[in-house]
Amino acid sequence: MTASLSKRNPASSSNILEVENVTKIFGGLTAVNDVTMNIPDRSIISVIGPNGAGKTTFFNMITGIYTPTKGTIRLAGREMVGLRPDQVVEAGIARTFQNIRLFSTMSSEENIMVGRHVRLKSSFLDAVLHTKKFHESESEAREAARVMLDFVGLSKWRNELATNLPYGDQRKLEIARALATTPKLVLLDEPAAGMNPRETEDLKALIRRIRDDLGVTVCLIEHDMRLVMTLSEYITVLDYGSKISEGLPHQVRNDPRVMEAYLGRGAAAGEYGKEATPNA
Amino acid sequence: MTAINPTQPNRAKPAPDRTILLILFFVVTSALLLSSHNQAVLNGSLGGLLRNPIFEALVVSLFLANVLFAYLWRAAPWARALVGIGSLLLVLPMAGREDTSLLDLSIQIMIFSALALGLNIVVGLAGLLDLGYVAFFAVGAYTWGIFASPRLSSILKYYGENPGATNAATLAIGLFLLVVTAASMIYMRRMSDKTAPTRLSSWAFGLASFGLLAGIILTVRAIAVLGASNAAGLATGIDSNFFWLFLALSIMAAAIVGVLIGLPVLKLKGDYLAIITLGLGEVIRVLANNLDLYTAGSQGITPIKSAAVPWFNSLAGFLGFSEDQYYLLFLYVLVLVVVGVILLVNVRLDRSRIGRAWIAIRDDEVAAQAMGVPLVQTKLIAFATGASFAGVMGMIFAAKQTFISPESFNLFQSIGVLSMVILGGMGSFPGVILGATVVTLLNLRILPGLGEATANIPWIPQQVNPGQLQRLVFGVILVTIMLLRPEGLLPNKRRVLELHHDENQEDDSAEGNAGALGTGTGDVYSPGKAPTKENDRSGGAK
Amino acid sequence: MDLATLLPFLVNVIVGGLVLGFVYAIIALGYTMVYGVLQLINFAHSEVFVTGAVVGFEVFRILAPNPMNGYLKLLIALVSAMLISGGLNVLIERLAYRPLRNAPKLVPLITAIGVSLILQDVLRVIEGFQGRFDLTYTLPDAFGVKFCAAESSCVGVGNFLRTIGVDLQVKDVILIVVALLSLTVLNYVVNRTRLGKAIRAVAQDRVTAGLMGIDSNLMISATFLIGGALGGISGVLYGMKVGTLNAYSGFEPGLVAFTAAVLGGIGSIPGAVLGGLLIGVIQKLVSVMSVLGDLVGSKNLATIDDSYSKMGAFVVLVLILIFKPTGLLGKSNTEKV
Repeated sequence: MTASLSKRNPASSSNILEVENVTKIFGGLTAVNDVTMNIPDRSIISVIGPNGAGKTTFFNMITGIYTPTKGTIRLAGREMVGLRPDQVVEAGIARTFQNIRLFSTMSSEENIMVGRHVRLKSSFLDAVLHTKKFHESESEAREAARVMLDFVGLSKWRNELATNLPYGDQRKLEIARALATTPKLVLLDEPAAGMNPRETEDLKALIRRIRDDLGVTVCLIEHDMRLVMTLSEYITVLDYGSKISEGLPHQVRNDPRVMEAYLGRGAAAGEYGKEATPNA
Repeated sequence: MTAINPTQPNRAKPAPDRTILLILFFVVTSALLLSSHNQAVLNGSLGGLLRNPIFEALVVSLFLANVLFAYLWRAAPWARALVGIGSLLLVLPMAGREDTSLLDLSIQIMIFSALALGLNIVVGLAGLLDLGYVAFFAVGAYTWGIFASPRLSSILKYYGENPGATNAATLAIGLFLLVVTAASMIYMRRMSDKTAPTRLSSWAFGLASFGLLAGIILTVRAIAVLGASNAAGLATGIDSNFFWLFLALSIMAAAIVGVLIGLPVLKLKGDYLAIITLGLGEVIRVLANNLDLYTAGSQGITPIKSAAVPWFNSLAGFLGFSEDQYYLLFLYVLVLVVVGVILLVNVRLDRSRIGRAWIAIRDDEVAAQAMGVPLVQTKLIAFATGASFAGVMGMIFAAKQTFISPESFNLFQSIGVLSMVILGGMGSFPGVILGATVVTLLNLRILPGLGEATANIPWIPQQVNPGQLQRLVFGVILVTIMLLRPEGLLPNKRRVLELHHDENQEDDSAEGNAGALGTGTGDVYSPGKAPTKENDRSGGAK
Repeated sequence: MDLATLLPFLVNVIVGGLVLGFVYAIIALGYTMVYGVLQLINFAHSEVFVTGAVVGFEVFRILAPNPMNGYLKLLIALVSAMLISGGLNVLIERLAYRPLRNAPKLVPLITAIGVSLILQDVLRVIEGFQGRFDLTYTLPDAFGVKFCAAESSCVGVGNFLRTIGVDLQVKDVILIVVALLSLTVLNYVVNRTRLGKAIRAVAQDRVTAGLMGIDSNLMISATFLIGGALGGISGVLYGMKVGTLNAYSGFEPGLVAFTAAVLGGIGSIPGAVLGGLLIGVIQKLVSVMSVLGDLVGSKNLATIDDSYSKMGAFVVLVLILIFKPTGLLGKSNTEKV
């Protein structure tokens, strides 16, 4: 992986995602200001920053939930700005949510099958007439769900309602659901929030396997600095909507601007806790 | 899917086998139904009681409980099939032979069952509250009503007398416009799936839709003018053999209207969608009231033909039905088949990629879209599917009533169908059929029965006639079910979870329910394509 | 096309539309305030408003033989309508909406529809037991006369209106005055009092307002009380304006007023007023389209009859929701209530 990291040329063709000069303005408020960022293919990178730095807004723009006020976003060279969220998924970007958003009335398996939606080709008529295509696509979806449940280690919960799963497993299920869309890039929004240290270790291994076994690039927003520093190959720091620093973990760690952003405002201590509200 | 299979409520703990009870119940209620509708008995000393609509409603609901129990109870498969099929295909028609009004009642029940099943897709599965649903019923009814009645010749006559500048060239131009714009619109839709739509392409699409409209108007007008000479030959409408073709056409017409109404409004959030569909439903009714040439306005269209099915008539004659019962019996069988098909389609869709997408949208719209479910398209399919069921039933309704007027399609009917869905249980197929049965019996038998019973009581003035308390009944159903048992009488298991979700999970945040029906309090404020408010401070609205 | 006849005609249409619009504005406030605090379309508001109209009818009917001043009767009618409609609205919230506060959004909405239907028939039965269905207002004679009939009796604004040919009845003027007064009072209550501040706080964020020590349930009740009282006032005014109504009459003006609230930007008080006035004028314009068609000699216009004026409001609603769902004065982060 170090090979791809050494290429930090923005125009490099090995970048899976290229974000250029993206700005998002809500009313009079600039939530994200002129951010440029490239994600090398098959890498694990992190976006960090204090609360309210614009990280989630940034994710929302990449996934098409918000349209950037300015700037371009390209996935493997293809323009993403203007596509609907579902089209972005089809193009190959999947995500999880900061506040878990599983489909509450569905089983784990069905949740993942919904994730498979874009890759299935059976139509309305196929479903009504129970054609061969319908059966094929249903078994494909089921198989995908089985594989993904195995991958994240939730096979035992297959038929359990998503909302009945333990908190950490719900996060994993969200990841599995995102992976079921066969993405090129998966965006994880605070995947470790509310997890205990053991679960976080599991998660770290899982994220590595997503990249190593599935070949999917991972980009995460995370407040757990230990996780970020040990896992990420590259880190971008946002504060007040602007990129204030980027680089390898040790570079970022020692960047005075980053220290200021976190500690200067005395906010660092409050960063945790907030999301740590397990749905027990 | 197998774990929460809503159609096997007894899976968890096997209930005792009730084959004998079921058969016994079937025999008793069948005997009751048959004897209470027997002409000889009706003319006897018990006739007064038996003719009482409330008593009849009781007997009919007891009898129909057979079908419910055959579905719910654990019993031998042969017994369940026997009771189900026997009730609907044997006993009920036999009783109907003696008392035609029973056939009529059964047809009404099934028409409303189909409507409720259609609305259930929209409200129960996809979570979109449609208060103008009956508009699609109207579309189906008018599609057949206009063509299979003297209206057609009136329209042709009018165009014959006012041809304007229309000639064969108009037809050619109209068809050309139709084909070109339709093709380019389809092309544009395909393109927009691949690339992002721009302002220009949206405008082009809008312009093309106007072209399409113009094409349709020109073509229809040209056909009407050119066909005007046939007005005399079509004095009673088109040949009744076209019934089968129109069965398909009414499905298509309603589905198209569903898409046309749905396209602009389905981006809106829940409550706005409710009120806008309510408004559009009224618009369609007002149009039906005002387009006098096509719909005869408030006078209504009559007489409307039914299908001509000679072989069926001879079969019915062979079975001892009288001639004036043939068409009702035919419609009874037809409606039974159509409801069966609709039920099958419902069940199959529910357990497919599309059904999952609907439920995903209902559970959490934002998450569904972020997982790749195209919102507008998926909602449109729900809308159009629901609409098409209403369309086909509208046509059958027109054929059965032989008379339709805009008043058959007011807002009140939409709310009636909604109360059927709510009563039975949103998302539950057997539930909504049960709801339709109960509400229809209330409406057509029990309330009029109460009205009759109180007609001669001096302290109840005409203005208080309980026969007209439908609003109260619907209102009480909606409120009590929502307050006490929001999952309905025969719940779908998913729904139970959703509606009682808050009780299991201490949820104090204002946005805590965001998942439930797609809209949290945080993002309802702008009803447009409101983005979700994440906890990102700078991204939020504050 | 004669400008000399067209101009006074148009002026009258606009003035007539504004009179109607004031009624819609007051009804719309009831919708918008409730929406502001609960994000719920209170379908039952149209019946709360009809209840006001029925109360007004009863007061005028009972007091008809009484020789007291007509304006005193009006005052009694308005106050009793405010109390009864306001109380009813609070009761509805307490019994039907509060238990569903945390339910999925469709649930209270469907309940609201149900409450609306129940109230329609309850009102019908109450009046029906007295052998009535259509209720015709018996207004004091003084209300029905033309405003500023003689030049001598007019001063200032009245005189100006008379010279430009505006045709108003005394009851129309009463209607405008009452509406303006209610708006002024409402504006004071919402923006200048502690109660108003608390309501606005609850509207913005119920949870945080609760943390700040505001009893949000009480404030929601207060909002329903104010909204219901406004509904009562508008009911009496509407009854005076249209003359005859029945228990089922609420649906249409209710929907029009809701359209007005959305047009102005739901949740915004000035928006509701602006929307109400606009819708009133639009509806009046559509309803006189056939007369206008005759005046300007257009055959197509002349075929648009009154029944389209309902449709006018629906079409406006559809267009706003599609193109500018936040309404004219609403912003997605605007101050609610």
